[in-house]
Amino acid sequence: MVEVLELTAMPTALRLYAKALAPGRRPHVKAGLPEREIRLIGHRSTVGEVSAYDQVCGFVLTDRLPATWLHVLTFPLQLTLMTAPGFPLGLAGLVHVSNSMVQHRPALVGEALDLSVRAENLRPHRRGVLVDLVGEARVAGEPVWQGRSVYLNRQQTLAGAPAGGETSRSRGPLAAGSGKQGGSGFDVEAQSSSLSSTVEPSSTPAGSPTGPDTATLHTAGWWRLPADLGRRYAAVSGDVNPIHLSAVAARALGFPRTIAHGMCTHARVLASLQARLPDAYEVSVDFLKPVLLPSTVRFAAAAQPHGHRAQLTNRTGDKVFLTLSLTG
Amino acid sequence: MAALRNAVIVGGNRVPFGRIGGAYRSATNLDLLTAAIDGLAGRFGLAGERIGEVGAGAVLKHSRDFNLTREAVLSSALSATTPAYDVQQACATSLTAAVQLSSRIRVGQLDVAIAGGVDSASDSPIAVNDRLRRKLLRLNAAKTPFDRVKTLASVRPSDLTPEVPQAAERRTGLNMGQHQALTTLQWGITREAQDELAAASHHNLARAWADGFFDDLVTPYLGQSIDQSLRPDTSIEKLAALRPVFGDGVDASMTAGNSTPLSDGAAVVLLADEEWARQRSLPVLARIVDAETAAVDYLLGDEGLLMAPAHATGRLLTRNQLALQDFDLYEIHEAFASTVLCTLAAWESDEYCRDTLGLGGALGSIDRSKLNVNGSSLAAGHPFAATGARILATLAKLLAERGSGSRGLLSVCAAGGQGVVAIVEAV
Repeated sequence: MVEVLELTAMPTALRLYAKALAPGRRPHVKAGLPEREIRLIGHRSTVGEVSAYDQVCGFVLTDRLPATWLHVLTFPLQLTLMTAPGFPLGLAGLVHVSNSMVQHRPALVGEALDLSVRAENLRPHRRGVLVDLVGEARVAGEPVWQGRSVYLNRQQTLAGAPAGGETSRSRGPLAAGSGKQGGSGFDVEAQSSSLSSTVEPSSTPAGSPTGPDTATLHTAGWWRLPADLGRRYAAVSGDVNPIHLSAVAARALGFPRTIAHGMCTHARVLASLQARLPDAYEVSVDFLKPVLLPSTVRFAAAAQPHGHRAQLTNRTGDKVFLTLSLTG
Repeated sequence: MAALRNAVIVGGNRVPFGRIGGAYRSATNLDLLTAAIDGLAGRFGLAGERIGEVGAGAVLKHSRDFNLTREAVLSSALSATTPAYDVQQACATSLTAAVQLSSRIRVGQLDVAIAGGVDSASDSPIAVNDRLRRKLLRLNAAKTPFDRVKTLASVRPSDLTPEVPQAAERRTGLNMGQHQALTTLQWGITREAQDELAAASHHNLARAWADGFFDDLVTPYLGQSIDQSLRPDTSIEKLAALRPVFGDGVDASMTAGNSTPLSDGAAVVLLADEEWARQRSLPVLARIVDAETAAVDYLLGDEGLLMAPAHATGRLLTRNQLALQDFDLYEIHEAFASTVLCTLAAWESDEYCRDTLGLGGALGSIDRSKLNVNGSSLAAGHPFAATGARILATLAKLLAERGSGSRGLLSVCAAGGQGVVAIVEAV
């Protein structure tokens, strides 16, 4: 029986992060995930907040909400779920390793969206435990957007074979044809990734974005990501995770400087494809390495028969931060 | 030389115009122009198509937007291989773009083109003042930390006063309304006549919206589906109650009600070779027969700043051997109600047409029931560069409805003492 927790207003991430810091007992990860769904009914985005988000991420302001903005809307619901009693994983050190979204049809500015988030697919990983946070936006009962964020918790372990191959495949609304969902890992030590066991074999129609055919991508931009990008994105997205805002907090978690929000770099890549986005599409991203701020990253992209592939790397291209695959 | 082809207006698209600080306060020129182009692309199935050329522009423009139109094309559904350029002739921007591109189509250099304009009074650029700008440039060029500190230390609080763009003439310091107030006085235009014209503009535009006339000329944007400045329930009595804002003393007659509001918006028109359009089963509404641009000496001469269209009209009619009365419709941009009335008065003046325009005599009066029949800028709003394209698309559709051969005269005045007048004819 799924317990439904219906919110009356959009929660603020700041309060939820503060709550996450408060000491409290958590059930052991072996107990599994609580059967719970967080909902917010009839949420409307305003032109002002979408415009501010668009300007930071590079979208042109249209009536259509960027898919990544719908993630932003469900993110406080994710935090609500993960800080509610009975959730086995702590927020501290939680790493967003991959994200996939399906846009069924454009969601519009000012449209009343019913938002929901649940957690599923708790599974072992070589470096800890993976969990999927699955979000959905509906309009009058009809799903317009679904998103799956895969998070890695490195404080916990779970008995069993580490996720890899088919076992990392997430079940759920995105399973059909959406490709990588629980796949690759986030190399927090910023060394060459040895997580190949978690990278699925080519599962997207046009091949894995991390596959050998990345050579066909062509450089489409050098992006200067400024030192205050974390603060600017936090201001428009509400994600005030200190690792993106303060060098002190970043150092406490093992990074020399602040790091960019993964969903911010994702949004910028999606924004550069905005003019070519069809009404309905699927997009998957793997966050392979953190992007330290400030830095200049190389954006490379290629059109393919049914969409686009893209990646962000360092200048030389030997360090891949993000890969994206879009079909539609 | 090969015979000239027929360049036709296929249709137009615009966003509903917004009031300053209104529905589009968060939108940039790039956002607005992209929305207008995308709406046009959607209406005529141009997604992924390479258009011969897109010419558009803005009057209030950020320095980063030097390539605004090309950027909008890249953000739009049009093929990224569509070339584009920016054009700027104040309030005549998009009409000038349409005239130029239409000529390119006629001589066979292009098959299809988009002309347009955009302006956002809400998102207007604010520049640092000249003293600070020079110091910042010096700071940027400074080689040593000492030079940098020295330059920074030279910044005075007074340097921080920003420069806000104004609708003021650079050479006279008078804003557009103050200039027009002088012309209004010169031509003896009454307050009552101005308010009457303003009320008619609102009522005509409201009727056109209610009739669904704009259904295929406008695409809603950011939740706005009708022109935000439109007041269907305004009246001559209500307008008469407003205080004058331009001009001095008892003779001041120009109010916020009979002057155009500052606005945000974008408009585009699709132009094509007639054959090209017919092969694709696209509508063929009208064509630009001819156009004339005039400029007046408003500095040392005694001509009003916004009187250039009167000059352009005289030359255009002479060249085309037409009388002012040979038109089914007249579209005169309502920068101010009195601009329209001064233009009409000028055409009616024997003395002015003879002595100032060098014509044989007065061009005469027009049937006022044929003037701005579906409203104009007083009611719709006036995002400067977008206005020409708004009027051209409206006029083309109105003429097409009246049938082949019906003829319209389109007049737009512009800052700097300029004006563009075009003859448009239903195909």
